[in-house]
This record gives sequence, C-alpha cells and structure tokens, in this order.
Amino acid sequence: MTGLDANVYLPRPAILDRVEDEIADVRSFYWHFEDPADDERFAGFLPGQFAQVSVIGAGEFPASLPPSPTERERFFTVRKVGSVTDALHALKPGDGFGVRGPYGNGFPMDAYEGMDLVFVAGGIGIIPLRSCIVYAMHHRQRYGRIQVFYGARTPRELMYRTAMDAWAAAEGVECYRTVDRADETWDGPVGVVGSLFKLPGVTVPVGNTVAFVCGPPIMFRFVIKDLLAMGLPEGRIVSTLERYMKCGVGKCGHCCIGVAYVCVDGPVFTYEQIRKLGEDI
Amino acid sequence: MRARLVARDDVLRIVDLLRARGYDVVAPFMGRGRDTWFDLVTDDNRSAVALHVPNPYYPPKRYVLPHIERLMVLRNVNGRFEAEAQPETQRLAVFGIRSCDLAGIKHLDRFYLGREYRDVYYESLRRGMFLVNMACTDPEQDIGPDCFCVCADTGPAARDGFDLQLVDLGDSFMAVAGTPQGEELFSEPIFARAHESDLARRRDVLAQARRSFRANTSWFTAAVRAVSTDSIPEKTWEEIGNRCLECGGCTFVCPACTCFTVTDRAIGPDTYERVRVWDSCALNGFTRMAGGFNPRRAVHDRRNRRFFRKLSHYFVQRELSVACVGCGRCAAVCHGDIGMPSVVEMIRRSLAEASQSQVAKPQGPMRAYR
Repeated sequence: MTGLDANVYLPRPAILDRVEDEIADVRSFYWHFEDPADDERFAGFLPGQFAQVSVIGAGEFPASLPPSPTERERFFTVRKVGSVTDALHALKPGDGFGVRGPYGNGFPMDAYEGMDLVFVAGGIGIIPLRSCIVYAMHHRQRYGRIQVFYGARTPRELMYRTAMDAWAAAEGVECYRTVDRADETWDGPVGVVGSLFKLPGVTVPVGNTVAFVCGPPIMFRFVIKDLLAMGLPEGRIVSTLERYMKCGVGKCGHCCIGVAYVCVDGPVFTYEQIRKLGEDI
Repeated sequence: MRARLVARDDVLRIVDLLRARGYDVVAPFMGRGRDTWFDLVTDDNRSAVALHVPNPYYPPKRYVLPHIERLMVLRNVNGRFEAEAQPETQRLAVFGIRSCDLAGIKHLDRFYLGREYRDVYYESLRRGMFLVNMACTDPEQDIGPDCFCVCADTGPAARDGFDLQLVDLGDSFMAVAGTPQGEELFSEPIFARAHESDLARRRDVLAQARRSFRANTSWFTAAVRAVSTDSIPEKTWEEIGNRCLECGGCTFVCPACTCFTVTDRAIGPDTYERVRVWDSCALNGFTRMAGGFNPRRAVHDRRNRRFFRKLSHYFVQRELSVACVGCGRCAAVCHGDIGMPSVVEMIRRSLAEASQSQVAKPQGPMRAYR
C-alpha cells in the first residue's frame, strides 16, 4: 500500500469476524481483509505501528495494532471515546469497514536484541505494548529478561486478562499486576504501577535494559521519574505517542510536534526525544 | 537563459496561445480598490486581465490544493465497505502568478510529493499545470506595503519553478522559458529575438523593483536562527499569543500552509464522500483528541507552533525551502497584527532587550569607561 502510484489515502475493505469485550467500553475487533493480497501487504507490520480505520458514515481514526506480527490474527482493541469509535462499537460480525496501513516507525525490536526488556503499562496503554510482549516472547532466545508491570484502576479494568494470566504462567516472563483500588475479587498488590518495582523479591536490572512505557499522562510522568531514579538513561525509555491524526502519512499536519510528525517519525519515541519535542504527553 | 521579447500589445496573446493549446487559463482581475482575484479567462473577460495588480489575498494555491477536495466516495453495499477514488486531473495554466506564490507551489511540491508518501490528488492536479510568472516590477500595484519576498529570497522575479516568466520592460515584456513546454511557445510569431541590451534592461528593471520594497524584514534570517536555536523567551510567545484572535486567517491565505482536515459527509443513501478541507493550527480543536485531551492548550502554544513550523532550520532542511515565501498576506489579513513581519520584529526586539539587560548588569571596568 506504499507503492509509488498507490493512493495512500484509500482504505481497503475489511470484514469484522467477531468481537470480544475486554473491559467496560473497550472491545477487541477481530477482522480480515476481503482481498488476501491486502493482507499480504499488511503482514509485514512491526510492533508499535498503527493503522487507519474507516467506519462507513462516521469517519476514520488511527488505531494501534495490538497483535504481534508473529500472530496470524488481525485485531484492534478500541475504547469507545468519540463518534467513529462509537460507530465501530456498533458494528456486528459480518459488517464491513475500511483499513489502511500499517503506518509509523514501530519499535526497533531488532536493535533491542540481547537486551533486558521491561514493559510498564497503565490502563489501555497495554494495547500497543501487547504486540511487543508477544513478539518478544515468540523470539524468546533473542532477548534477556522480560518483565511486564501492569496497573489498572480496579480489578474490573484489567485488560487482556486471559493473555496476561498465560504470560504470568509462562517460562521466562515475569508478570506483575496491580490495581489502584481493590475489590473482593482481588488479592494481589494494590497501588500505582510504579509501586510494583519495589515489591519484595522484585529486582529491575537497568544496566542493559530498555523500558517500554505506555499509559495515561499522569502514570507516564510518575513511571518515568521512577525509572530515571533507578538509573535508566532517557534514551533507553521508549513510548508511543497518541495524537489527533487525519492522514497517517505526514501530510495533514495535526500530529506535528516539535520537529516530528508523530505519524511518520513516530509514534515510537525515546523519552529523550519526547522531552525535546516539548509538548504534553 | 532562453529569452524572447513580446510587444506590450501582444502579451495577452500568450493567454490565447495557451487556451488554443487546450489549457483552461486563470489570471488576475481587478475590482474596486484592493479587491483582486484569480478567475477563469473567457472570451468575454479576456481583455480585462490585469498585468500589474495587487496580489489577490486568496492564493492560487487553491488550484493545486483546493479549499475543499473530494478524496473518495464510500459506500455501504449490503454491509460491505466500498471505497472508490478518482483523483481529478486538469490542464490549467495560471497566467500572472507572482514569484512568492510560485515559491509556495514549489514548497507544496516538496511537501506533498517528496519524502516517503506521495499525495496522488496533489500530483494529479499539479501534473497538468502551466505556470506563467509575472515579475513584480510596478511599485504602485505589484509591490504592496506588506511584501517581503526580497527577504524571503523568493522575488521579485522567481529564479525557477515557472514554465514562462514575464518581466515588464515598458514597451515590451521579456519572456524567459523555464521548461521545454515554455520554450515551445517561442515558435509563435509574437516572440521576437532578444538582445544583450534587453537583458541589461531586465536587470535594471528588477534592480529598481528591489529598491521599491517598503516592508523592513531584513531580520528574517536571524529569526530563523533564533527559532531554530530555541532562544526566544516564552514571554514573547505569550505576547504573540495574546494578540491572536484564533481566526485561522493567516493560514488560509498562506501559499505555503499545507494542513488539512478530513471529514465524511452523506451524499445519498448509504453513500458518503470523504473530503479534505483546509485546516488551521490557529484553531483550538486542531490537536484535540477524542475524549477531549488537547496537548496544545494555550493559544501561544499554537502560535509558537506555526512560526516554529515555518522558520525552524530543521524543516527548512527537511523540505529544502522555507515555509514562508514573503507574500505578506498574513500581515495584511491579521486583526492582531501578528503576521510574519510583525512576529519577526517582536522576536528581534525581545532578543535585543535580552542582550541589553545583560550588558546593563553592573560591570566595574565597563562603568569606569563612561
């Protein structure tokens, strides 16, 4: 879809196969392209890239790609938050919608080979990181330690429960979860996600580590503070930015911050870059 | 340089020649006072085409990036998603485009056709264009009080980017071809041989024109440096922001602004058209995301953004041209007087104040000197 003569703005027809509710207002949409050739072009995506999703009569929006390229399934996980995502949530299996992409730089997973990976996510910030986690687990031998720290407001708002239970049980991955407020179903840790770093028995190496951080702005700020205090350099903290986007290909101008167009130069940036771009997260 | 002479009375024949070659021709016209516009030339209005004219506020950029442009038609066909696109083509000549607007189109070329993604809609309109540049030489009509192309290095006569360029020598116009298509016209009998002395006259006329510019923005390049090195005090951006009425006028008249929004609208049962519409970084909702979070909250953040995007050295390198062409339209339309020339002046003043306050600090030996 990125060929010279191709119309980069033209979405390709896709069909919704099934939906799965994750938490309140957040749903995963499993889909496939009508034309297998479109899927072949799409298949080379990288963790951290995104796609533009069109819903008939409502418009288009950028959506993270939660699946890893090593998985066969195509799906989006989307919170109902505005007019187009509302319309997406109203779709039934069998309905058609449009997809174009993948866009953006993605996480340079090859460059992280041999390093320890620390994933820190809050709320639905886990959506783009899910891709990297599954990717890293698939290529387990290429990376050092893999740690996942995840926090949500309440136990009801923990995303990807089944997947994360599986990660926690898997060999070679340490998975820690916390909630801000517990209820009767929860006997795990309570507190912000950064408090997981200080749990008894938890050690977070920083010597050869890259930390992936994704979550709401307030969580992001505190986690960054914690990681820097632990001695992680700014250049080895990576995140993916969200911005209002119309085109996804560096033309419409909405996502331009500092010297970067988030859609083509990002959405993945190191914290060092983010700080220099000089805008709120 | 391929140059010819065209007698003054024959210059509008160029419009006829282009029309005969299948081009729709647009050219400037003049109404009352400062009211000027580009319009399609017809048999009826052909004689009213204005050669020297204050540059219309609505830039000819719209012929290659229309204010509203259909991108595709989307259909819901029994639940299936269908998208169909047919980028418009045209065979359009712009007669009398000014050097600043030409530089604007050159900038848009680099922005929309350069880098990893090409914009097929832009390309499709652009491919069929023929550009006749008129050098700005008339101090009364062409060169307005806000014009500063001499500082932005785009005028008064463009160096490239045109198919044909005209410079008014009085009794005749010197025509210079910039492309083989432009040179092809020289086979027509209205084009006569030019001599060394005509080239000298052309140089004189342009030198005279350069001296007729009134707007003093010679500090423009220094502003580029100041913006690029992030040395402008936040207070200055706040002052600029305080004067912004958030109307978006500056961006809509700018020949080098590129931003657009995209929206879908119903055009029939289960049928929608997706259009792109010029958008403006001056508007509050420009960066607001679904859910309400807006990373650029204050108005001065947004103004800072516009001038940073236009002047920062990084983007100048990235596009190989400055996103300000010196046309002065933003200065003419801005109600808060923060067009580019004023902003350059405010930046200059704030840096001068900053360096003065440094000098004014008590420094023993310096004081003894006075």
